[in-house]
Amino acid sequence: MDIDISPILESWRFLLSGLEITLLLSLLTVFCSLLLGTAVGLARCYGPAWLRVPLVFYIDSMRAVPVLVVLVWTYFALPIGTGLSLPPFWAALAALSLHIAAYVAEIIRAGVSSVRPGQTRAALALGMSRAQLIREIILPQAIVRMLPAFGSILSITIKDTAIATVIAVPEYMNHSQTLAGQSFRPIEVFVLAAIVYFIILFPITRGVDMLYRRVAHLGRS
Amino acid sequence: MRDATPVLTYHDVRKLFGNFVALDGVSMEVSRREVICLIGPSGSGKSTLLRCTNGLELLHGGEIRLDGIPLPRDPRGMRAVRQRMGMVFQSFELFPHRTALANVMSGPVTVLGLSRRDAEARAMALLHKVGLADKAASYPANLSGGQQQRVAIARALAMEPEVMLFDEPTSALDPETIGEVLNVMKQLAEEGMTMIVVTHEMTFARRVAHRVVVFERGQIIEQGPPAQIFDAPLVDRTRSFLNHLGWAA
Amino acid sequence: MKLDWSVVTAHAGDLAQGTALTVLMAVLTMALAVPGGIILALLRLSGSRVLSGLSASFTDLFRNLPLILVIYAAYYILPLALDLQFSPFTTGLIALALNVSAYNSETFRAGIASIRRGQGEAALALGMSRWQAMREVILPQATRRVLPVLASTWVSLFKDTSLVSVISVGELAYTAMRIRSQTFRVLEMLTAMAAIYWALGYPQAKLVDWLNRKYGITE
Repeated sequence: MDIDISPILESWRFLLSGLEITLLLSLLTVFCSLLLGTAVGLARCYGPAWLRVPLVFYIDSMRAVPVLVVLVWTYFALPIGTGLSLPPFWAALAALSLHIAAYVAEIIRAGVSSVRPGQTRAALALGMSRAQLIREIILPQAIVRMLPAFGSILSITIKDTAIATVIAVPEYMNHSQTLAGQSFRPIEVFVLAAIVYFIILFPITRGVDMLYRRVAHLGRS
Repeated sequence: MRDATPVLTYHDVRKLFGNFVALDGVSMEVSRREVICLIGPSGSGKSTLLRCTNGLELLHGGEIRLDGIPLPRDPRGMRAVRQRMGMVFQSFELFPHRTALANVMSGPVTVLGLSRRDAEARAMALLHKVGLADKAASYPANLSGGQQQRVAIARALAMEPEVMLFDEPTSALDPETIGEVLNVMKQLAEEGMTMIVVTHEMTFARRVAHRVVVFERGQIIEQGPPAQIFDAPLVDRTRSFLNHLGWAA
Repeated sequence: MKLDWSVVTAHAGDLAQGTALTVLMAVLTMALAVPGGIILALLRLSGSRVLSGLSASFTDLFRNLPLILVIYAAYYILPLALDLQFSPFTTGLIALALNVSAYNSETFRAGIASIRRGQGEAALALGMSRWQAMREVILPQATRRVLPVLASTWVSLFKDTSLVSVISVGELAYTAMRIRSQTFRVLEMLTAMAAIYWALGYPQAKLVDWLNRKYGITE
């Protein structure tokens, strides 16, 4: 088996541009999904009952449907259904954010419900409003427990951006495939891709593991 | 009544946990059919000595001999030794996924290779002995602490050990249930079992033990019959330890 | 613009076949990845530095690669590296099994480690060997603990089978998109695809919730 990395050396700029898109898409997705997911999560926990039902439906639906399906539907079917036609990058951003926001909402719910109910009773007994209760008592305690899960959101997002290749988003996976096809050197290109993704993801995963260990220290009551 | 032959000898036993000296040159002998109670402040080495006896901890110095033969260090040899000793833990450690009967059968079936029928017969007899025959089909979660500990004693006895090691058997029990466990232990003693008991139950030690061994900071500071230790200790530190517990000497 | 939903019913048979292949893929993957995960966890917890390190490296590798990359890489590299021609189904299965084994290994490792030390000691004190203690006392209890996590992993796996469509495995996603290409009924087919995944996945997600409530840590 002969190894020839010259195509990689020639096209490193091409690969790099793909990597830039991967990182950009990942960061924007994390930002949007955190925003949307937090809003949905808090609304689901503390909002009026009529809002809870559709929100739970949205969250559970995203748990049921694969990312690939949401991506493909957003890019190909949405324009037909609503006339709204998004370019690949923005379709991917919308689809990924929508999908991952559901996870964020679940993390919020788990974090909030992990705070002992007695805390809520005590705060309300003191005369605090609901908003004060959430802001000063619940969230500070919940955030610590939620931190590790939030860390894994970043990791999941970066991995999911690779799926966006199927709707021709010019991210790293997509550019790797193109290069592999043109150069007939799939092994070299994909091994490099594995190395690149690993280098990016490993520190994040390690960091999250360490966070989990620190937080487990706080434990339950 | 008591055999003169020592079944266990401890010679200058030393054990470290990192920099902490848990056992600092402990020497003593245990004869067959003897009931020994180890008492002393927390961290004085009593439990550590017990766990060295059945190889759950390894020694850093000195020697422990069972029937004159030093304890082996290889896993196979250690397993053979453990079959001759039974251990009862402070936290009972019943297997929660098995019924009381299945717990008691665990040793005979898995280690001794008895048929299920023979193991079951043996187990039922032992549950009967500790007064829990009617709880044979119950899971540990549905048993009180005292009941769990009695099942644990039956489980250890099912291996027909020569020596029974008790590591603070009643420390985790409610006061109401301590008595039922101590009664079982008293009965075992009367039947002639060789027992080494780490305990804070001074009344039990006074009534049942043949010899009481007082530990402090990894060393034995005094040992002797209960009458001596509780009524007329020879060593001042023994007296102050017992006073501290409210036991005037 | 006019929608024609009859295209979905016309191809119901194909879609059913695709669904069956999705289920088969998921079941076979788990059948490989559960024992795989247990073996990796036991290696990780073994005393041997070499075995433990190898297991940890395997797990670290596959937890930190996008699954779609593993699938493509398996598709291109396996034939060249092993000089064997696998079917796309087998290739997809291998990629999925490697990926899920890595996650399961962490799940089992954490589950085993969460069993109190005293349980192992009680087993050893009875004279059991380390392997007997693991088999009779530790693993049965750990299995109870890991059940909710495994269920969660299953639901993720079920969704991830859609990714093997990129190497032309005829599961649900591939089938639906093929029919879309052939009939040009994009919205209908893609919506049907989403709806079928939803119909299968929603109850599974609810089952996971129920399992979490039932077997959640009750120390």
